[in-house]
Amino acid sequence: MKKIARTLGVSLLAFTAGNAFAVSDEVIQQSFYPYNNWTPTFDGYEPGVVVNQSNVEKYKEILDEALYRFISDGWIEIKTAPTTDFPLTSDYVEATRKYSDAVTLNANGTLNGYVAGRAYPQEPDANDPDAGQKLVWNYQYGFNSGDSETIEPFWWTYRDMKSGKVERVLKFSWHFMNFNHRVTFEPKPEFADNPGEIYRGIYSRVLEPFDLKDTQLLIHRYQDDTKRDDGWLYLGFQRRVRRLATGQITDSFLGSDLMIEDFEGYNGRVSDYNWEYAGTRNLLLPFYYHNEMELSSDPADDPDGYRFVDVEGKGNCFPKVTYQLRKTYTLIGTPKDPNHPIGKRVINLDSQTMTMASLVTYDKKGDLWKWFPIGKAHSDHHHERNKGMGVALDDFAVLIDVQAMHCTTLQFKSIITDDVNQPRLFSVQNLRKSAR
Amino acid sequence: MKSMTKCFYGSLVISCLAIYSSGVFAWTSEDKSWVVNGFLENSTHDRHRVGISRSRTRGQLEWSKSIGSVGIFKGVSMNGVLRASYDAAYDLNDDDFGDDAGSAVALQQVGVPAGVLPGPFAGGVPTAFVPWGGGFPLDGGVIGGPTNPNTGLAILGGDLHGGNDGGAILAYPVRPCDEDSRGCLDGYMDADKQELAAPEFNDRADVIREAYLDATLPLQNGDEINFRIGRQQVVWGRTDLFRVLDVVNPVDFSAQNIYEELEDARIPMGIFNMEYRAGAGDIFQDLNFQFLWKFEQARPHTLGQGGSTYSILQAGNFFRAMKTCWDVGCTVGNFAFGVAATDFGPGQIGIRRANTPDWEIDETDVGMRLEGVYEGVGFSANALYYNSHLPSLRGGITSTDPFAPPGTTGVFPHALAFDIDFPRIFLLGGSADFYLDEIKSAFRVELAWTTGEEFANTLRPRLFSESDVVRYVIGWDRPTFIPFLNKSRAFLISGQLFGQHILDHELESGPLGKVGIPDWEDNWIATLLIQGFYQNDTVQPRIITAYDVRAQAAAVAPQVDWLISNNWRLVVGANFKFGTGAREFDDNRSALPYAGLAALAGGAVGGSAGLGGFEPLGRFRSGPIGMASAEDEVQISLRYRF
Repeated sequence: MKKIARTLGVSLLAFTAGNAFAVSDEVIQQSFYPYNNWTPTFDGYEPGVVVNQSNVEKYKEILDEALYRFISDGWIEIKTAPTTDFPLTSDYVEATRKYSDAVTLNANGTLNGYVAGRAYPQEPDANDPDAGQKLVWNYQYGFNSGDSETIEPFWWTYRDMKSGKVERVLKFSWHFMNFNHRVTFEPKPEFADNPGEIYRGIYSRVLEPFDLKDTQLLIHRYQDDTKRDDGWLYLGFQRRVRRLATGQITDSFLGSDLMIEDFEGYNGRVSDYNWEYAGTRNLLLPFYYHNEMELSSDPADDPDGYRFVDVEGKGNCFPKVTYQLRKTYTLIGTPKDPNHPIGKRVINLDSQTMTMASLVTYDKKGDLWKWFPIGKAHSDHHHERNKGMGVALDDFAVLIDVQAMHCTTLQFKSIITDDVNQPRLFSVQNLRKSAR
Repeated sequence: MKSMTKCFYGSLVISCLAIYSSGVFAWTSEDKSWVVNGFLENSTHDRHRVGISRSRTRGQLEWSKSIGSVGIFKGVSMNGVLRASYDAAYDLNDDDFGDDAGSAVALQQVGVPAGVLPGPFAGGVPTAFVPWGGGFPLDGGVIGGPTNPNTGLAILGGDLHGGNDGGAILAYPVRPCDEDSRGCLDGYMDADKQELAAPEFNDRADVIREAYLDATLPLQNGDEINFRIGRQQVVWGRTDLFRVLDVVNPVDFSAQNIYEELEDARIPMGIFNMEYRAGAGDIFQDLNFQFLWKFEQARPHTLGQGGSTYSILQAGNFFRAMKTCWDVGCTVGNFAFGVAATDFGPGQIGIRRANTPDWEIDETDVGMRLEGVYEGVGFSANALYYNSHLPSLRGGITSTDPFAPPGTTGVFPHALAFDIDFPRIFLLGGSADFYLDEIKSAFRVELAWTTGEEFANTLRPRLFSESDVVRYVIGWDRPTFIPFLNKSRAFLISGQLFGQHILDHELESGPLGKVGIPDWEDNWIATLLIQGFYQNDTVQPRIITAYDVRAQAAAVAPQVDWLISNNWRLVVGANFKFGTGAREFDDNRSALPYAGLAALAGGAVGGSAGLGGFEPLGRFRSGPIGMASAEDEVQISLRYRF
């Protein structure tokens, strides 16, 4: 009955939104195609310039606070390139056009009437007290991984930033799939049998090293944002599935520099933070064409000949890619939990893709703690299978713990596909089935 | 400790040489369909006042071959694990566990002044420790002779209670069965030294630890049936350390009592394992149905035989003592009238044989499980009909009456003459796990009801009875930050409370003490794990504690696990026991099974009056923690994973 009511509701919303409340083309153009008739600029900045210790002061305003400090300290110099368009798939754009006007915010900050696409394509209004909340929903229901994505191989390398020593390499297979709000892959907009009202499934399996091999992680995120995720871990050495206490998301994940809350930029409930829109600015972000970068020799045995983005700079903690000047919305997230270890997250949300392209995290004392840029690759200039997918692909990320002088680099082979990403993969039983 | 260090470094050098000389690496075939990896490990334990109790070098090879689609099946693969080990403790410490273990024994005789007892004891019994074969003679003088010498023996439970408590005192041979065949139970506890040291090379081919075929049959409606056929581990349940529902596979307790990782301790069995995966539906987020048929000949837990390095509850020691009594006779301290060491002849008391299950279709195990997720709560309903993995001592067998003319045999109620059997058990149970965000904790619960289990019971003429049993556990897991110890990584705090209720428990007060089932009618074991993570999780200190509530016995096991590199791992730990060790219970000495004995005592044939001591039934009150209370150890292990 609940499902029928929901389906009916979605249909009605689709009908009404498709007719009476369609969002204007101007809003759509501005939100999804900002670079059609405009290119961000900054006085004295020319694409192609190398920003380094000697000239960093000139570009301070187009660098996020952490990157500015790193360049100032001589940890890295960055190459720049012209701003390029990273259009999302037209399916997502059309869903926005169709449904977004019907979306409202509930008193508790959750969404009402959301079906698919970008919830709030309008330019954020500094006078709107809910502007930050709306932006974070744009991220939460963004198209970061498309409807469905497989990342394999996915290497996490733990590095001592002082010495550059590689301490540990974890190799994963990682899968993301939206159970609903789907726009690209069938079924659209959702899977029929989803009594738990799961929004998103995350499944990962450790391929190496030996001590963690066959460890599997499953996370269910629910439509109801106030509901805590459910998580299960299959431990190879115990041969059983263990229920996870998913509330402790500030814990380091498998000893890396990432908290579980850091995945994809922010992996918690929207309702766990207060969100504030702190303005729009143009920043240099690691957006690039993967195939045009100087790539690593890893993974050497990739059957498609795919190679990761390489590393450089202090401790080999930085991506060897070009940065481009892009329009971003600055979002400040402050944890509601007074015991949360983070003071605030300063998130620079890429306005076109609504991905968290760079995050600067401060501790309770207000000191810089972590920097987490997520390199985005254009899907037409990446693996052959991603052509035409219209996703700004996660391609490289690093979490630098400035205080510990330690980093974890993440190198991706992201493929937008639903080949294996079906609900069955995101079930507890699959953990057992896949186990040895 | 010095010997341990020497042994560890010796083994380490050998292991390292072996690794480097053979160039051991994981291997993946060019088409990636074959994957082979494994490990080589040495694990050395030093037991307080004993010395080396384990120096096991173990190699394990894990392989898989992906085949792909075959006819109507997809995801077809073959998988297996080969394991071989050698425990040098039987060589390095052969005084305690090998060919030279044991010694001559003297058994307590508390004695009695003249004029107190009737018949042959009217003149009194001297207080003494009498040698093997030096008791009141009911044996025809065979004990202590060449076929049953007073060598290679140890006092049962002597490490716990010293063998001088005034209770029944037994002795058992401790040497491997090729060195001393006394008390060896054919087909059950009859390992020679090679089999003790290298247990995988046995007649069950345990060197092939696992070998199974995986295949999936996709159905038209999108559901699928998964098959896993072959020798495998089937893990039910959600608990650590102790088991409630996880009873499909028997366990090898001889590896390290209850402290071996279950993954390593489970004994894989040949099982036809079929799972129908219905997946998500209108009501359940996930729903699956599993059918199991264990087609390999049933086998019980490996409890550890008398004289082996680990023997849970020291049950193997007790069985060996009793089997010795039956086969070649034995001296039992403080037996006759509770005061005189007594020599029993063959066939009078003891264990005649172990009736291990044969392979018959109606003796195989079958199980079913319905498992799923509803509203975020994982659940299962389980049923299993199986051969007990634990032995039952069933009295009521034909034995010889020591108080009648030689050769007089019969079935004597309350006589200490047993066969070991493995009854059929039906288990019905269920489990659930869920998360409570309010307290940031995950919970695991299990409940199981069994019928068919058998317990020692001195009230019954055959000295055992059947009882339904309810077992349950609630587990609590909470990652918790302890900022002054680690500000970026939470500690895992995990507690469990296991409970057991024996529904048909019998316990009465006799003139001399309690009589009936020695196991507690209700008992609980609590466990607590605290584990930390440092240096990118490469250094993991942890402490595990377990407390048996009724036995009032505790174990504390601190450990530091250091992942030196992706290949090398070093684990240093200890296992200390606290609290009460041995506990007393009726030992059936006061029973009068034989007319001649009853006449001598001036009573009537009948059961026990409750005279008790530590041996042999007190072990069921002490539990596995209490019975190992003399087994404090420091442990070190080095593993090379490839």
